[in-house]
Amino acid sequence: MNLKNMTADKLVGLYRNHDLSVTEVIRSVFDEIDRNDQSIHAFLTLSRDRALEEARRIDGKIAFGEPLEPLAGVPVAIKDNMAVRDVVTTCGSKILEGYVPPYTATAVERLRGAGAIIVGKTNLDEFAMGSSTENSGFFVTRNPHNLDYVPGGSSGGSAAAVAAGMSVIALGSDTGGSIRTPASFCGVVGVKPTYGRVSRYGLVAYASSLDQIGPFANSVRDCAQVLSIICGFDPYDSTSADVPVEPFQRDIEQPLKAVRIGIPKEYFVPGLDPEVKARFQDSVKQFERLGCTIEDISLPHTEHAVATYYLIATAEASSNLARYDGVRYGVREGESSLVEMYRKTRMKGFGKEVKRRILLGTYALSAGYYDAYYLKALKVRTLILQDFQRAFEQVDLILTPTSPTVAFRIGEKTSDPLSMYLSDIFTITCNLAGLPGISIPAGTNSQGLPIGIQLLGNHFQEGLMLQAAHHFERAFLVQ
Amino acid sequence: MKISETDVEYVAKLANLEVADDEKKELADQLSRIVEYVEQLNTLDVSSVAPTTQILENVKHAIRDDRVVPRTGSSEAGKTIKYFKVPKVITER
Repeated sequence: MNLKNMTADKLVGLYRNHDLSVTEVIRSVFDEIDRNDQSIHAFLTLSRDRALEEARRIDGKIAFGEPLEPLAGVPVAIKDNMAVRDVVTTCGSKILEGYVPPYTATAVERLRGAGAIIVGKTNLDEFAMGSSTENSGFFVTRNPHNLDYVPGGSSGGSAAAVAAGMSVIALGSDTGGSIRTPASFCGVVGVKPTYGRVSRYGLVAYASSLDQIGPFANSVRDCAQVLSIICGFDPYDSTSADVPVEPFQRDIEQPLKAVRIGIPKEYFVPGLDPEVKARFQDSVKQFERLGCTIEDISLPHTEHAVATYYLIATAEASSNLARYDGVRYGVREGESSLVEMYRKTRMKGFGKEVKRRILLGTYALSAGYYDAYYLKALKVRTLILQDFQRAFEQVDLILTPTSPTVAFRIGEKTSDPLSMYLSDIFTITCNLAGLPGISIPAGTNSQGLPIGIQLLGNHFQEGLMLQAAHHFERAFLVQ
Repeated sequence: MKISETDVEYVAKLANLEVADDEKKELADQLSRIVEYVEQLNTLDVSSVAPTTQILENVKHAIRDDRVVPRTGSSEAGKTIKYFKVPKVITER
């Protein structure tokens, strides 16, 4: 059995009707991983025994006709920057090699409570710093559509696992596009919720004012289902929003009513791939056919988003990553003095990109440069937020390509960090403004590489965003 | 602003990082390019703009009541790990 394109929704139905057992599905997931993951490298750790034990428990419930949770027996992969108790959590970094957390992230706990079965932890750019999953401290993850190409990043392992049928859903985290870019490159759906929607408790911090956990799946409906489970107030996260969570998976079925969609003119950048542009324009027409009104809008500070992001994110990272000093977690090097231990541990444990970002962030925060770099970036962040506030007075949703290009070749951008940073141009503003965003597949290019489009909503408007995405996806599949 | 190898050394020290000698030049070059790029923000007049550190306006006050609430996780860590041993911190002058 191959689980490519399988949805949680369908799978739970098959369990209910006794057409499939959870045990046979979980076994086939691991068969698929054994067969394919040697070439894709999506997983860092597998939870085979525990998953099979869970599967048997749920099969028992089905046999006794007990009510099933919404994700009962659904295989889920977890990005390896979320703590799962008793399972190694590395963040893709040598500095955390072998670290076993004593607690589980709230989002993962909630998914488990809904019956989902964790199959393993997925690869990522070290500490989620990257756009291609080439910066992992362990190995490079490859795009299941073409193994010579990157899966996008930083949640590349999670996106690749779903795209290759090695999991049905997955969790990722998105700080500047780390869910939406890999979703777009791997041809799956990925959602970054409003900042504060999903608890960050148990998510290893990269840039705390930007990080959000969100789902990957083969359908918008599955993402809506996962969100209705993982969203919601958590006292363990001091920036958790106490906002009611609607049953998104039910509400998306409502007909679309007079939705106004804005197309920002600043997103037609010179580097926009012609095939991506063509698929994007097809998508605009599709939304028109669905009865949406298309309006041109302007987000004038878009061109400054990458600069703003790389100052704020690295400044926050330099502070967050100070805790990896050899004292409490993972590896330790150099024992002659405390400071020497810090320095040697961090030199040995961190990879190149992480060091680069810590240095940049420390520089931006250092005496004499704080006002010129960090504070200035915080002020430009205000301007970017105001751009969106003005736009959302005019329209309900914003539509853009998810990335200016399709997946690029492995190694193509590794020698030039700036060119890698610039590939995030369409996804980054959403994090700076704290908005929800979704990437939906919108076809492929002439080489068969997936192309994604992105919808952005206003704060806490996931409902409308998912609804529009669901109707688009359905119309697209009928085409 | 051009970042020199001396700047790299200084910032590395602030960040408790050790940078190998053969990495210093490459890092100085890469950071210079990135800093030159982010300096585009200087073209904007933000003198009358307030900084944004936090997007959400209606987040509950993050300070909770000072009550002991049993919590899995940290208490579990406390059970298994009694202390962290580190190299000598105080040395004779």
